Amino acid sequence: MAEIAYKSASCIYEGTDTPAVDRLTLEIEDGEFVVLVGPSGSGKSTALRMLAGLEDIDEGTITINGTDMVGVPSKDRDIAMVFQNYALYPNMTVAENMGFALKMRGLAKDERRRKVERAAQLLDLTEMLDRKPAKLSGGQRQRVAMGRAIVREPQVFCMDEPLSNLDAKLRVQTRTQIAALQRRLGATTVYVTHDQVEAMTMGDRVAVLKDGLLQQFATPTELYDSPVNAFVAGFIGSPAMNLVSAPVTSEGVKLGGTTLPLERDQLAELHEHGLTSATVGLRPEQLEVAHPGEGVDVRIDLVEELGSDSYVHAHLTADDTGEPATLVARSHSRTPGRLGETIAFRKSHGPVHVFHPETGQRLAA
Amino acid sequence: MTKQSTISRAEGWRRRGPLLPALIFTIVVTQVPFAFTLYYSTQSWNLVRPGSREFIGLRNYLYVFRDSQFREVALNTVILIAGTVLISAVLGLAVALLLNRTFRGRGVVRTLVITPFLITPVAGALLWKTAMFDPVFGLVNFVLQPLGLGDVEWVSQFPLASVMANLIWRWTPFMMLLILAGLQSMPTDVLEAGRVDGAGPITLFRELTLPHLRRFIELGVVLGAIYLINTFGAVYMMTQGGPGVESANLPFYIYQRAFLGFDIGQAAAMGVITVVATILISTLALRLLFKTFTATREAA
Repeated sequence: MAEIAYKSASCIYEGTDTPAVDRLTLEIEDGEFVVLVGPSGSGKSTALRMLAGLEDIDEGTITINGTDMVGVPSKDRDIAMVFQNYALYPNMTVAENMGFALKMRGLAKDERRRKVERAAQLLDLTEMLDRKPAKLSGGQRQRVAMGRAIVREPQVFCMDEPLSNLDAKLRVQTRTQIAALQRRLGATTVYVTHDQVEAMTMGDRVAVLKDGLLQQFATPTELYDSPVNAFVAGFIGSPAMNLVSAPVTSEGVKLGGTTLPLERDQLAELHEHGLTSATVGLRPEQLEVAHPGEGVDVRIDLVEELGSDSYVHAHLTADDTGEPATLVARSHSRTPGRLGETIAFRKSHGPVHVFHPETGQRLAA
Repeated sequence: MTKQSTISRAEGWRRRGPLLPALIFTIVVTQVPFAFTLYYSTQSWNLVRPGSREFIGLRNYLYVFRDSQFREVALNTVILIAGTVLISAVLGLAVALLLNRTFRGRGVVRTLVITPFLITPVAGALLWKTAMFDPVFGLVNFVLQPLGLGDVEWVSQFPLASVMANLIWRWTPFMMLLILAGLQSMPTDVLEAGRVDGAGPITLFRELTLPHLRRFIELGVVLGAIYLINTFGAVYMMTQGGPGVESANLPFYIYQRAFLGFDIGQAAAMGVITVVATILISTLALRLLFKTFTATREAA
C-alpha cells in the first residue's frame, strides 16, 4: 500500500538539452489506478521508469509513502514492473520466472512454490508452470509477466504498455482483467499507455502528458467533459473532438454560414482577452446530421459505418478561409448520406468548448 | 522410366551443372590427396633408403600406436587446444564485459584489442619468442626482474606453456568478439526486469547474462578448437617442438616425421589417425552447437 508523489521531478537524457520529463508533479493516492497517457515522445514511459528506478531523477524528487526515492536502487523500492515486451527470463521456466523475485528475497523453496502456484491459479497459468517462455503464446506471456509482478505483492505496480503486443480482442479482454485484478489486490498502480481508450477505461485518474509536460491530471469524465486545453481535447475521445478555428461575433462564433451561439461567460472571456477568433471544439456526438439549411452546410468526404452507428466526415462548404475545415459527426442512422452529398450538421446538446487560438488554453468553464 | 522424368533429369543436370567445377576442384584438392595418404599409409617407405618401398598393410598404424612419442604428442595437442580455448574464453569474456561499457574512445580500444587476431601467426609467434620471452632482452623477464624472478628461460623451461601463451594472446580477441556480439544482443529490458525484481549486479550476471552468453561461448570454444587442431606456425617458430617432443603437437610431429625423418609411410598413417580423430570430435562438437542454436531459434 503506497502513496506516490512526483515533486517537480525531471529527467534529462544524456546529450540532450530538453528534459524528457519536465518538472512533473503528481500526487497518487493509496490504491489508486493512475494512467499516464500521451503521444510517443511525451515522456510517459520515462516518468514511469523514474518511479521504477530505471532512469535517474535529475531534478526534483519522487516519494513513495513519504520516503525520498532519489538514489534508491530499483531493488530496494518494492516495485513490480510489467514491460511492454514482457521481458521474461528466456532461460527460466514460467515458475522460475514468477518466483525469481521471491528467490532474490531469500524465500524458502516450498513457500516460493506455494505463492507461485496461487498466482498461477489466479491467472490460469497452472498448466504452463514448467514451460519456457518461448513455448508460450503472446497472451500467455503477457499473463506470466503479470504473474511475475503480482507474486511479489509489491507496494506499487508499474506497467509500461503491457497490452500493446496483444491483438485487439485479447487487449480488450485483458484490459478488464487487469483493472479487476488491481481492484482486488488494491495495490497502487501506475500504468503507461498511448491508447486513450485504455486510459479512459482503466484509470481512476488519468495524467495526460505532452513533450514531457503534464497537461492535465483528472478523472476520465473530467478529461472528457472539460479538457484544459486544445491538446487534451483533441487527444481524449475517439474519434477526436472537432477543433475548428472560427471568427468571434457578438452572439458566438461564425461557423460556415451560421453562427454557433456560445455561453455568456465564454463570450465575456473572449472579449476580455480581445480575441477576434477562437478555437472551438465539438465532440462528434454533439453534432447531428440534418437536411441542408438546418445547420452548417457540409459536403460528405467519408462515411465510416460501424454497425451500431456511423461517423460522417465532411468539410464546410461555405468556408471563405483557404483550407476548408473538416468536421466529424456521429450518426445513428445507417444511411446518413452519400459521398459528395451536401448535408448539414446541427449542434445537438452539451456545451461548446472554446480554446484560446494561440495558447490553446480553455476559456471559461 | 517415363519421358517426363528423363526431361526433369536433364533439367536437373542443367541446374546443377554450374556447380560441377567447384565440386571437382574440391575433390581434387581434398579427397585425392587423402586417398593418396591412405595408400601411402600402407607402405613401408622411407625416402632415405631408396628401393625400400613395400606394402605392409596396416602395420604402420600398429607402429604409430606403439610409439610412446606419438601418445605424448597427442596428449600435448589435447592440452594445447583445451588450455588455449578455455583460458582465452575466460579472458575474452572478461574483456568483452569491459568493452561493453560506454567510455570515450571505445571504438579505438575495440580495434586495438582485436589486432592480435589479425597479425600473421608466424609473426606473432616470433614476437612472443623474442620480444616477450627472450631470457636476455625479453619483456616478461624485464617486468619480473624487480620481483626477483627475472632469470627464467621461458621457452626452454616451459615450452608448451610458452606456445600456449602465444596462442591465448591470439585467440582471446576472437572469443572477445563473439562474446561481445552476444552481450550486445542481450535485451536490456530483461536485465531491467531483473533489477526491479531485486537482483544485484552479480546475480544478474550469473542468472541472466551468462545463460544468454552460453551459446556464444560454446560457438567460440568449438570454432577455436577446430582451428587450433591445425596449429603449426607457433610451434615451428617458438620451440620446433622441443625439447624432445615436449611441445610438439600432432601436425608438427607429422611434419617432422615426413619432411625431416622422410618416413612417408608412418607420417601418412599418423595423418590418417589425426584426420579421423578430428572429424569425430568436430562432428560431436558441431552437433552440440547446432542443437543449442536450433533450441534458441525456437526461443527467438
